[in-house]
Amino acid sequence: MAKAIGIDLGTTNSVVAVMEGGQPTVIINAEGNRVTPSVVGFAKNGERLVGQLAKRQAVLNVQNTVYSAKRFIGRRHPEVQSEIKNLPFTIVAGPNDAVRFEVAGKLYAPEEVSAQVLRKLAEDAARYLGEKVTDAVITVPAYFNDAQRQATKDAGAIAGLNVLRIINEPTAAALAYGLDKKGNETILVFDLGGGTFDVSLLEVGDGVFEVKSTAGDTHLGGDDFDKRIVDWMAEDFQRDQGIDLRKDRQALQRLTEAAERAKIELSSQVETSISLPFVTADASGPKHLETKLTRAKFDQLTADLVERCVAPFKQALTDAKLTERDIDEVVLVGGSTRTPAVQALVRKLTGGKEPNQSVNPDEVVAVGAAIQAAVLAGEVKGVLLLDVTPLSLGLETLGGVTTHLVERNTTIPVRRSETFSTADDNQPAVDVHVLQGERELARDNRTLGHFRLEGIRPGPRGQPQIEVAFDIDANGILTVSARDQETTKEQKITITGSTQLSKADIDRMVADAQAHGAEDRQRREEVEARNAADAIAYQVEREIQARADRVPVNERARAEGLIQEVRKLVQGLSGDVTRLRQLTDDLRQLAAGLAAAEGAHAQGFGPSPTDAVHDVVDAEYTRR
Amino acid sequence: MTDDPLEEEALPQSSSEPAEAPGLRAELQQEHDRHLRTRADFENYRRRVERDREVASRQAKRDLLIALVDLADDFDRALVHISESPNSVAAGLHGMQRRLGSLLEAEGVRSFESVGQPFDPTRHEAMATVRGFAGAPGTVVDEAGRGYLWNDELLRPARVRVAE
Repeated sequence: MAKAIGIDLGTTNSVVAVMEGGQPTVIINAEGNRVTPSVVGFAKNGERLVGQLAKRQAVLNVQNTVYSAKRFIGRRHPEVQSEIKNLPFTIVAGPNDAVRFEVAGKLYAPEEVSAQVLRKLAEDAARYLGEKVTDAVITVPAYFNDAQRQATKDAGAIAGLNVLRIINEPTAAALAYGLDKKGNETILVFDLGGGTFDVSLLEVGDGVFEVKSTAGDTHLGGDDFDKRIVDWMAEDFQRDQGIDLRKDRQALQRLTEAAERAKIELSSQVETSISLPFVTADASGPKHLETKLTRAKFDQLTADLVERCVAPFKQALTDAKLTERDIDEVVLVGGSTRTPAVQALVRKLTGGKEPNQSVNPDEVVAVGAAIQAAVLAGEVKGVLLLDVTPLSLGLETLGGVTTHLVERNTTIPVRRSETFSTADDNQPAVDVHVLQGERELARDNRTLGHFRLEGIRPGPRGQPQIEVAFDIDANGILTVSARDQETTKEQKITITGSTQLSKADIDRMVADAQAHGAEDRQRREEVEARNAADAIAYQVEREIQARADRVPVNERARAEGLIQEVRKLVQGLSGDVTRLRQLTDDLRQLAAGLAAAEGAHAQGFGPSPTDAVHDVVDAEYTRR
Repeated sequence: MTDDPLEEEALPQSSSEPAEAPGLRAELQQEHDRHLRTRADFENYRRRVERDREVASRQAKRDLLIALVDLADDFDRALVHISESPNSVAAGLHGMQRRLGSLLEAEGVRSFESVGQPFDPTRHEAMATVRGFAGAPGTVVDEAGRGYLWNDELLRPARVRVAE
């Protein structure tokens, strides 16, 4: 079946996404970028350039390079007077006052220009997917009227697309976060893009979204923020050097790029340095621009821009007859919502609500459109929704630590197994203590069950191989089995309640593990240090016994001293990790020395616990 | 899957056998189909992850190379003023520029000539137009930043001024 794509047809930039294997993927265009400028250039040789290429030749071909077509689509010429005067290309009235772009003596409708952009996006998607693409969902602003929606749909048809549906941008953003599954909630979508600001209030119920209100500012966005930085840098430079960099096209370009970079850096850092060496020159020689911009200064430069978001927000609430307290979910859209001051404002306006922002805000609308497209194309139907284990599962091993076999959030059904061994010589049985939870120590986790595997053939510790398997079927039923590889004796237990925990319980257990993370790791480290020291002490002791008379007396005395100290520390449950590791190292060196000296005599000395069993994890069973 | 167990039994069932629940066969077929689809999905997923990993590492490298090319621009700009500097400093700067150049070259990055050639949006980014230039209209007059290729793919367009 052909794939259906989702397209965010933007005023400045467009994005295309598709569902693959149940996951939305943003498609990288032919030029290697995730966004495509919504620009079409009509070159003198009749060639049409779309996207990045059109943008590159724009200054050569000002009259014949059309952008912002979205501001005109489905509108009448008298309605768009204020927009026309901001743009360098010719916009005239066509039949029935429809808007037409006059390019090289020919008239083009806005939908024809948008169709060029849509066609490129569909071609890039086809190249990425390796198959022809015809079906698409296209997004439009919530405030678009019927004529604008119809014109957008026509643009799709001109581009050769079968438009499955036109959906609202805020609805697409909410879909990207799966908010359609919520029952009767109010969602605020705060969209601050490159050049436009939209705020929408949606209500969702039974998987259906209703736009309650929408407001905004058609000329407010990230570009305004960049310009503030450019002006600040240029004015500073002019004060110091007497040169206005904004009058020099090349310098202005470098300033604009540096400003955007600085703005992005200030989203994660509180200060950034801007360095433009050889930015210009005068009679006295070359000049460099070197400055620092703090987030505080940036906030001050852009405070009024941020403030301009408040009135539309209030307006939307009033129109929807709602208050801040009615807002259940907040979704951030548009790259400028990464700006800390904008995020702070949104939190303040919504009474401290944590916004949804895990999906890239530049791509969230296209992602939502792709999800909608997959649903409409029937791809999502019939897909088995697989569950995940809410918490990690494992068993208790030597020293009371938890060894996890199945990590939390693993998709089920799943089977995981690992080989363990005994902790003592001639240990006849092992106890399997099945645990659920994220904590490092067994006693802090939830016990799901216990069982005992008996009849292990006598042997030195570490030699028997016991395979423990955790198997969770699609219904969440857990079967834990332990099997002695040598005797093939097996025991198992089936646990049904492992996935039936309340959300609150799960959250509490995960939070607990995070809260105790540091101390848990410390205690686990101690246990592991004791286990490692004890294991090497045991190994050295056996080797010395095995070759009694061939070991020099002084070596032997040293070994015995070290072993004794290890035993004392292990028995006393010492937490002195440094000393334990030191002892482990000393004993390892000693063992290596013994083995080297012995190499001439014989072929080794009985199995060492680590050599004999492959895949034995460090932790071993405790003896009952 | 040559002998399909589902098609095996067209014979009438003996009366002693318990009657088969209706729809079971269809359901089994459906489950079998779903199983195959899942297997196929997984295979596709594996391939996609492989591809995505390549794309991601390539993209990361590309970002780094673009930053280095920007640095190369700074050298170009500095060396325009080289006559104003003492000789030993100039020599040092030239040395640094060569080092950066050979580092980029080793990664498959090379610059290309633009001046005097017709403007080509697949390789050039127009910064401005120049009037009264002797050359043919649409010819690149000079460049504010050299263009770079990375293994024959455009890494960064040349930033150029073009004759009107």
